[in-house]
Amino acid sequence: MQTKAKILVLIPCYNEEANIVKTVERLRELCPGVDYLVINDCSTDRSAALLKENGYNYLDLPVNLGIGGGIQCGYVYAASNGYDVTVQMDGDGQHDPAYLMQIVEPVLKDELDMCIGSRFIRHEGFQTSFMRRVGIRFLSAMIFLLCGQRVLDVTSGFRATGRAMTEYFSKHYAADYPEPEAILAASLAGFRVGEAPVVMHERQGGVSSISSFKSAYYMIKVSLSLIIDRLSIKKTHHRS
Amino acid sequence: MSVKFQAFMILGALVLLIIIFVLLKHGKMTVKYSLLWMCLSLVLLVFAIFPYVVYVLRDLMGVEMPVNLVFMLMFCFVLLVLLSLSIAISQLAEKSKRLTQANAILEKRVRELEKVLQKTKEEGNSPRG
Repeated sequence: MQTKAKILVLIPCYNEEANIVKTVERLRELCPGVDYLVINDCSTDRSAALLKENGYNYLDLPVNLGIGGGIQCGYVYAASNGYDVTVQMDGDGQHDPAYLMQIVEPVLKDELDMCIGSRFIRHEGFQTSFMRRVGIRFLSAMIFLLCGQRVLDVTSGFRATGRAMTEYFSKHYAADYPEPEAILAASLAGFRVGEAPVVMHERQGGVSSISSFKSAYYMIKVSLSLIIDRLSIKKTHHRS
Repeated sequence: MSVKFQAFMILGALVLLIIIFVLLKHGKMTVKYSLLWMCLSLVLLVFAIFPYVVYVLRDLMGVEMPVNLVFMLMFCFVLLVLLSLSIAISQLAEKSKRLTQANAILEKRVRELEKVLQKTKEEGNSPRG
């Protein structure tokens, strides 16, 4: 579908010197009509230099904010520059720009406010480790219990948001591990959340932001945040 | 409460008050954050000067030793101060996050403006025709 809608792809980048150039080049090759914005979260490797050398479109955060604050910065930028759809895509090569339109389309057609690229609908491509899948199942069940929203791939960072959703995220976005919390917050605020099947790859290089060492902390922190969010955000009907 | 202990308490409360005032005077602490500390030192001072207050409170709360009541109240106060600090830190973190984001977006705009400026300059300098 060729559209004239303004689409912005946010690519968070923290120490991704091994992948970032490949990711951006592939995106530009496959989706030429789409704007992109790399958000360099104070990388300590050569990421910033690479972005500059290649003349990419990027934001350079002066201090490290973590994935939540960094992505939110992208949402602030998208909201103030009037983008119709804002897509979040990891900079490590896990997310394939070939599936970009799959998740953008439901938002463009105004069927959803946030569309999440899910690898668990068709079970194709990289399915991550068994323990992670257990964790994702658990969080998915928890989100379903807390707000009645069925999302399978709750930790997927490949997601498209419409104007109103982008505006909302530019004001409220979780700090540490924001993906599951964003789903709950969006759903409680009355936005329509859904999934579209995509194929993901194993990360091409570098290290994931969630190491196995941190995963216990991750689960506890996210579970607690979800419960607190449920208690603090009043259910509203954003769109009736 | 022994007279000696009373004297030490008065001294301690006064020193705390003086420290707070000095910090305020030199602008090392804002009035907003000094209020809790000032309350703490004033309450301590009242306890030290009029131990009768402590005895009444002890009877009210059923604590055996009046000194324990003072310790407990002080501990509660310190907890309150710590909580208020956690709140202040969280607010500061949120503010600094917002500033960082605004700064990054501005930096991008400046970078792009500089590029355009450079271009127009070069075009202006190049010989025409």
